[in-house]
Amino acid sequence: MLKYWRILLLFIVITGAVLAIGLKPRVHGVEVAYVTRDSPASGILKQGMVISELNGHAVSSAQQWDSEAMSLRGPVSLVADGVAYDFTVNDSIGIETEDLQSTNLEFGLDLRGGTRIILKPRENATRATIEQVIGTLQTRINMYGLKEIKFFPVESPDGWYIQIEATGVGRDVVDELLSSKGSFEAKVSKPVDIRNGRGTMQLGQNTYPVEVTNETVRVNGQDIPANGSFQLEGIDFQLGNTSAGKVIFMATVYRGNDIENIYTDPQHSSLVPYGNYYKFYFTVLVSSQGAERFAKVTSGVPSQMDLNSGEYYLKDCEIFLYLDNELQSNLRIASSLGGKAYSTPQIEGSRETRDDAAQEKMKLQTILRSGALPVSLETSSIAIISPTLGSNFIQAAMLAALVAGAVVITIVFVRYRKFKVAVPLVLIGLSEIIIVLGISASGPYDTAIWMSVLVANLLVIILAWWKLHESDLSAWAGAMLVPILGLLSWNTDLPAIGGLIAAIGTGVDQMIIIADETVGGKNITRKIYSIKEKIGRAFFIVFTAAATNISSLLPMLFVAAGIFMRGFVITTIVGILTGILITRPAYAKLIEAGTEHEHSKKQDNKQPQS
Amino acid sequence: MADKHKINVFGLKFDYRLLIIIPIALTIFAIAVLVNQYLTTGEWFNRSIELRGGTLLTIKTDKEVPVATVEQILGGEFGSISVRGLRGFGEQGVLISLDASADYSRAVERLSAGGINITSYSIENVGSSLSSVFWSQAQVAIIIAFVLMTIITFVVFRNFVPSVAVIASAASDIVVTVGLMQVFGVEFSLASLGALLMLIGYSVDTDIMLTTRLLKESEITGLGEKIKEALKTGLSMTLTSIGAALALLIIPLPQVLVDIASVLLIGLVIDIINTWLMNSVMLRWYLESKGVS
Repeated sequence: MLKYWRILLLFIVITGAVLAIGLKPRVHGVEVAYVTRDSPASGILKQGMVISELNGHAVSSAQQWDSEAMSLRGPVSLVADGVAYDFTVNDSIGIETEDLQSTNLEFGLDLRGGTRIILKPRENATRATIEQVIGTLQTRINMYGLKEIKFFPVESPDGWYIQIEATGVGRDVVDELLSSKGSFEAKVSKPVDIRNGRGTMQLGQNTYPVEVTNETVRVNGQDIPANGSFQLEGIDFQLGNTSAGKVIFMATVYRGNDIENIYTDPQHSSLVPYGNYYKFYFTVLVSSQGAERFAKVTSGVPSQMDLNSGEYYLKDCEIFLYLDNELQSNLRIASSLGGKAYSTPQIEGSRETRDDAAQEKMKLQTILRSGALPVSLETSSIAIISPTLGSNFIQAAMLAALVAGAVVITIVFVRYRKFKVAVPLVLIGLSEIIIVLGISASGPYDTAIWMSVLVANLLVIILAWWKLHESDLSAWAGAMLVPILGLLSWNTDLPAIGGLIAAIGTGVDQMIIIADETVGGKNITRKIYSIKEKIGRAFFIVFTAAATNISSLLPMLFVAAGIFMRGFVITTIVGILTGILITRPAYAKLIEAGTEHEHSKKQDNKQPQS
Repeated sequence: MADKHKINVFGLKFDYRLLIIIPIALTIFAIAVLVNQYLTTGEWFNRSIELRGGTLLTIKTDKEVPVATVEQILGGEFGSISVRGLRGFGEQGVLISLDASADYSRAVERLSAGGINITSYSIENVGSSLSSVFWSQAQVAIIIAFVLMTIITFVVFRNFVPSVAVIASAASDIVVTVGLMQVFGVEFSLASLGALLMLIGYSVDTDIMLTTRLLKESEITGLGEKIKEALKTGLSMTLTSIGAALALLIIPLPQVLVDIASVLLIGLVIDIINTWLMNSVMLRWYLESKGVS
């Protein structure tokens, strides 16, 4: 048994690969791909959750979900990740799902459908800036409960790019993610009482006259048209509502760059039941300039008691939080804060249910934290692939692999007409596909599987060395490197399938070399070299060929163009490495064993005659 | 002595050195194709969306839509467009190329409004700045790959003429393949770039096998016999790969795989010519001149 340790190594690696592809907890249902913003489940169901039941009966496919769920109105109950949820659907349930993957293979964007966008900063950006942009975008997507949007910084001689891949996600999400520039503004409504057409606006210690005639408002001697804006003491104001006794000005007190920290620790950020409501609050740290603006604008504003709570708030003076000019939230300001240079304002609010309150709190924190993107971005490339196109591609690619495999098998059989050469060649070729796919897979037990493979490999190779005194550098390298490569994972996309075909192609070529060097040649008159020497020479060719193959593909990984072809390059290189280190030595051993077997058979046949 | 370089193939007796004319002629032809393309279009290669910038809209429809109808609906609003029918996958549709800056969502809306029932669509858009980065780096990648291959060949054989024979044959493979890609209308895309790089590897595989067989001691005697055995191995290698590439082209496949298979198919056929009519001829000539028989 140990004599065939190279074949044993191959079996261990194949077993590992099969487990890495197939071993995953069995669940039934459909996976949430995307929850639209206006869905009643928005913020409750998250991407990746598994919906197993809809209105009391099982859901098993995305197609079934589409036909049954999309037209539902009224009360809907469903079970996601084992927890029951009830929603009331007004317009559309707004949950897009996809079929659960039955393997640990992650299919790429071009096979599953989705959106890929490549962004380039308009100005030169450092890696730190790019990381910051990615951080901001990452924070934003969490708002949508999306997990499966991936961001990659891509360096090229031309500067940095950001690649975004959103598998199985509607393009509207990505559009929204990017279209929102994330410009944050906090405006405080500054009321000015008007008596007989006159009033004063107090900003800190200073006051400015405000005059109101029929149609026009004059501030500090300057005519302000309706909705017009002006500046006082470096603060941007906009003219808001004017009524008989009052003019409201909207003053911008904080901008995104004023936010220095968002506290999320329990002391500064919490959620408490409050009467029939749930109240949430959290503290933000703003810059001293921001705090100063707040103090000026809120100075001289009278207080008013809230009849429900008995607490005092500034009258007609509220803080409005805007993201990309869209009002997100408006909050009252406690009277104790009026006129203070407050650098740690507390943002608070309340909602009817605990979940809603928690959701609103998280949303506000997210907006404030994500802030504006540090650089403006332009879209360099966009690819949107519809999921139906992708699923057709999988079938086509599988059919292609089958037909290509059949052609190779036929040619090999025609060429050798010897089962002992051709059958192992075909089987080894197949095992290579399984191993490469297994290495690319990323399941929950990936690490455990490949570490077990590593241990088993080492055991076999040490035993072989100890008992048989057989070992070579490439066997050691293969026994250790392949399980370590197993920890890698990458998407099986179209280029990766192309790479797999290319790698198998070189694999078959190399096995033909091995077969011909050892048993293929017919016109041999003298037998000088042992089978081991012949195999040695075959491997000289195989290793040189593999080295050129790998080195001609490597440059592709290090150029920007590699971002589309990563799957191709990685699959091919991993395929070639696995080939020369694990599967080709096993093939050579099979050929060697077959030849020896034939030898001994011939001798057996001869014995009765002699 | 006059017969020194003569070989006999199917009763035809000729100087084997003449065979090298075929790959050289092919290389010159390929260069002529590229130069002609450059003179007529101003571009050396016919590049894909990724490498020249632009938008590719793949529209699936519930029934077949004539290309002319699509062109008529889109009219002149979207600049220069080109429309092709989409075959395969058991579905109908069209492929529409637009400028990189064209508003593709609007084009989709227009088609819907124009009475075309779109069942699904995909978009691939690459801006001109990114595509020019891709393009310049693609060229760099090929050059680096070639340099690395050259270094490995020299290091492995440590023998000038045989190494040069391998490198010349690989170079001719790439040039002729790129030339024929223009003839057969295979676009230079990132996928075909990957296949070209792969082709360097494939092409060198057979060359290394041949060189090793001829340079190293073996049980087979005679250069002619050695070449014949190597030819058998080499043809088996290349023909299995060609068979697989052909199989991929028969099935309607996504463009990425079509690009890879087309380039490999062209390149492997050319590799047969270059390995056996250029590399082996150079190597045999060299060995014979050194007195090896």
